Amino acid sequence: MSEFDTGSGIVSSARTSGDTLFASVSGEVDLNNSPELRGTMLDLVARNRPHKLVLDLAGVPYMDSSAIAVLVELLRRLGKGGQVILTNLQPRVRGLLEIARLDSIFVLAKNEQEATDKG
Amino acid sequence: MRRSGSDSSGPHIELKIQSHPANLAPTRKAIEDFGGQCGFGEEDRGQIGLCVNEALANVIRHAYGGATDRPIVIEARYGHEVLRISIRDWGSGVMPQDCSPEQHDPRVPGGLGLICMRRMMDTVSFSPQPDGMLLEMSRKRRPVAPAASARSDGA
Repeated sequence: MSEFDTGSGIVSSARTSGDTLFASVSGEVDLNNSPELRGTMLDLVARNRPHKLVLDLAGVPYMDSSAIAVLVELLRRLGKGGQVILTNLQPRVRGLLEIARLDSIFVLAKNEQEATDKG
Repeated sequence: MRRSGSDSSGPHIELKIQSHPANLAPTRKAIEDFGGQCGFGEEDRGQIGLCVNEALANVIRHAYGGATDRPIVIEARYGHEVLRISIRDWGSGVMPQDCSPEQHDPRVPGGLGLICMRRMMDTVSFSPQPDGMLLEMSRKRRPVAPAASARSDGA
C-alpha cells in the first residue's frame, strides 16, 4: 500500500492498494474549485494507472455539475472496464447524482468496505 | 452588493455580483437563506440553491466566456407562496442548448445544469435582451414534512 501527499486541500488523502486508488475529497465543490479537484485527481490517476477509483465523499456536503463533469472524466481516464466507486454520499450529492442519472455509470457504496466488496 | 427588504408584493433580495466563480457559493447560500426565511424546507432550499448555482455557472462559462469581472444581478422575490428568481447578465445573449433529461447521456459532460433547473424548478424561461439575457425561474412552496423528532408516535 502506498500513501501520497496530494498537496491539495480538496483531495485530503490518497493511497493505492493493488490496482485501486483510494482518495478522500473534502469541502463543497463548485466551479470555483472543481479545476483543482480535476488537476489533482487526473495527476493521481496518470501516475498510478489504477483500474478502480474509490472516492470517499463523506466530507463533501455539496457539489455542482462542474464536479460531476470531473467524475465523468475520471471514469473515462480509467479506460475500458474501469470503475469509479463513490462512498459515504451526503444527501445533496446523492440527489444530484440521481438527477444526472450517474448512479447508472458509477458504483455507489455506503463505505470503503462495501466499495471493496462491490468492486 | 446586497439589498433586501419587504414591500407590498412581499419580501425580496437583490444581489449584484461579478462573474467570478468565487461568488457562486456565497450567492447560492444567500438565496438558500432567503428561501428559508420564506418557509421553504431544507431539501427544497438545497434544490433552489443548486439551480441558482448552475444558472450562474452557465452565465460565467457561456455568456461571459469565463470572464471574471462582468456584472450579474440576481433578484429573488416571494409572494403568494411562490419564490421567483431572476438572473440578468449582459453577455452573449445566446439561448442555452436544451436537452431533455431522457436524451441526456450521463457519460457526456454538459447540459446538466439546465436539466437540474428544468427538474427542480416549476418554471424556467430565458428571455434574450438587446444586451444580454434574462433568466426567470419560479418554485412554489410545498408543505414541509414534520421533523421525525417532532412526530407523535401515538403510543
